[in-house]
Formats: sequence, structure tokens, C-alpha cells
Amino acid sequence: MTAPHADQLIDGYLARLNAAADDLPKALRHELVDDVRAHITEARTRESEETDAVILNILDRLGEPAAVVADARERLGVRPPQPYRPGVLEILAVILVPFFWPVGVILLWISPAWHWRDKLIGTLVPPGGYLGVSVLALVAVSGRSGGCITMTNAAGAVIQNTCSHTVPSWLQTLAAVVLTIVIYALPLITAGYLAIRLRWGRQPQAVLA
Amino acid sequence: MRVPADGLVSQMRRGALEYCVMALVQQTPRYAFEMIEALGQTGMLTTEGTLYPLLSRLRRDGLVKTEWRESTDGPPRRYYELTAEGRRALTAFRVEWVGFRAAVDGILQEAKKS
Repeated sequence: MTAPHADQLIDGYLARLNAAADDLPKALRHELVDDVRAHITEARTRESEETDAVILNILDRLGEPAAVVADARERLGVRPPQPYRPGVLEILAVILVPFFWPVGVILLWISPAWHWRDKLIGTLVPPGGYLGVSVLALVAVSGRSGGCITMTNAAGAVIQNTCSHTVPSWLQTLAAVVLTIVIYALPLITAGYLAIRLRWGRQPQAVLA
Repeated sequence: MRVPADGLVSQMRRGALEYCVMALVQQTPRYAFEMIEALGQTGMLTTEGTLYPLLSRLRRDGLVKTEWRESTDGPPRRYYELTAEGRRALTAFRVEWVGFRAAVDGILQEAKKS
């Protein structure tokens, strides 16, 4: 007999363990996951035949990941994470990220209330907030005129003005309008996203007694 | 069935487990799975995964030291061995435990007779 889901079961278990151990110091978490992975490998070599049920039994004997991590916390003297209450710092960060990007971003990264992925989104979507958008718009506008060739005579009067656009101008205008709206709305959307992603009173993970 | 002493007994088992593990590696170095097999029959370790944080703790406290060794039938294994400090801690626990056990036994038996 074979265990068609062996890898899936084991990877799932290790992923749950890793997630449960999220608040342990990194070195401890890696050590725990590595030890448990080695344990599973060792346990598998001892079985005469391997079925999904055999794998499930190995994982059952190891214990629920949350229970193992709770034990680890107690054994290693790691305190469960304290709930963090967002305050003035976070409100300021959300307001300043779009309107005064450098300061907003600094506050954003100082605050422990966001996951680093959200901090990255807050920093880069768009880079520079409205400051960045304005610079971007300027560059775009100055770049657009590059498509036209204007010929002037000696007196400075325009004799020919060819624009090398292949798309209809109304479509271009529409695209420009949509793009402008999106770009100008983006900093606000990001600020809204940051406000939603705030870990309002996030509860610490329960510790099993 | 839950008995009133449930919490106390599990806490005692938890505390004593550290010293049982140390006793297991007192004479010969062992790897974790061997310890689990030895403890498995005693009922001292119900959740096998919890042995690993315990071993980490003993190592961090300098009570055991570890060494990787090649294995003939699988990947290398980490062997645990008692340090001099671990030996001292275990000896101290032995003395305490024997006294504690004798005292509790004595009182329990005395109470039963009367």
C-alpha cells in the first residue's frame, strides 16, 4: 500500500506548526520545525508499510501544532503576544502616508500594528503618495508631447504639426482621464486599506493550559 | 474522568519529564526518537511533539549538549548527551525526589492505616 497524500499531509502539518509558532523567536521556531520534520522522517523509516493512515497516526502522536507551540512557549518562557491597541501613531500614519509621504512612511514602519506586507504596500502603492503621483503626472505630461513633431518656419509660426498617434484621440483622452482618476485615487485607496488592515485589538493566540 | 488532582499531576509530570529526559541520556547519548520510544511506554509523554521544546530548553540551559551523527538507515541524527552541569542538576533532583516521594508515601500510607 502507498500513501498518496503523504507529502500533502506532512507539509500541511508543518505549515500549521510554523504558523502557530509565528510569535516565537525565529531561531526557536526554525529549530522546532526542523526537529519535528526530522521526527517525521525518522518515524516514517520505522514503518514497515506506508499508508495515509500511518502518516496521520505519526502526526496525531506529535500532537496538535497549537498544543505543541503552547507547550513550547511555556517551556521556553516565551510570553504570548500582547494585544496591541492602535492609537494616535496609527491614525497619523494613515493620514500622512498619502499626503506627506516621508513622515507617514516612517510612522507606518515604526508602528507594530501592521504586518510588514501591508507596510510595503503602504510605502509603494504609489511610491511617494500624492508627492510621488504629482511627479509621475509631470513626467507623463512632458513625455506625451514627445509624440508630436512641430515644424516651425523661420518666423516661429507653426507650419506643420504631426502627431504620430495611431489610436483615436478620444480613446486617448478617456485613457488619460481613467488613469488620472486611478492614480489620484490610489493614495486614498491605500490609506483606506491600511486603516482596514490595522490589527484593532488583535487577540493573542490562546495558550492551552 | 477528571479528578481534582488532574492539573497538579499533569504539572508534576511536566516538571519531572525534564529530569526523566536527562536521566535517559545520562549513560549513553541518544537521539530524540529513541527517547520518545523509551518514554512512550511510561505514559510520561502523551504529545510527542512537546519533547522538542523541552530538548531545546535543556540545550539552551547547558544541561545537555548535542552532536550530529551519521545514521546507517536515514539522514543524520542529533544525539543528546548530559553535560557536567546537567549531571549536577540531575543528582540534585534525585535527592529531592527521593525525599519528596518518601515523605508523601509515608503520609499517604499512614493516613490509610488509621
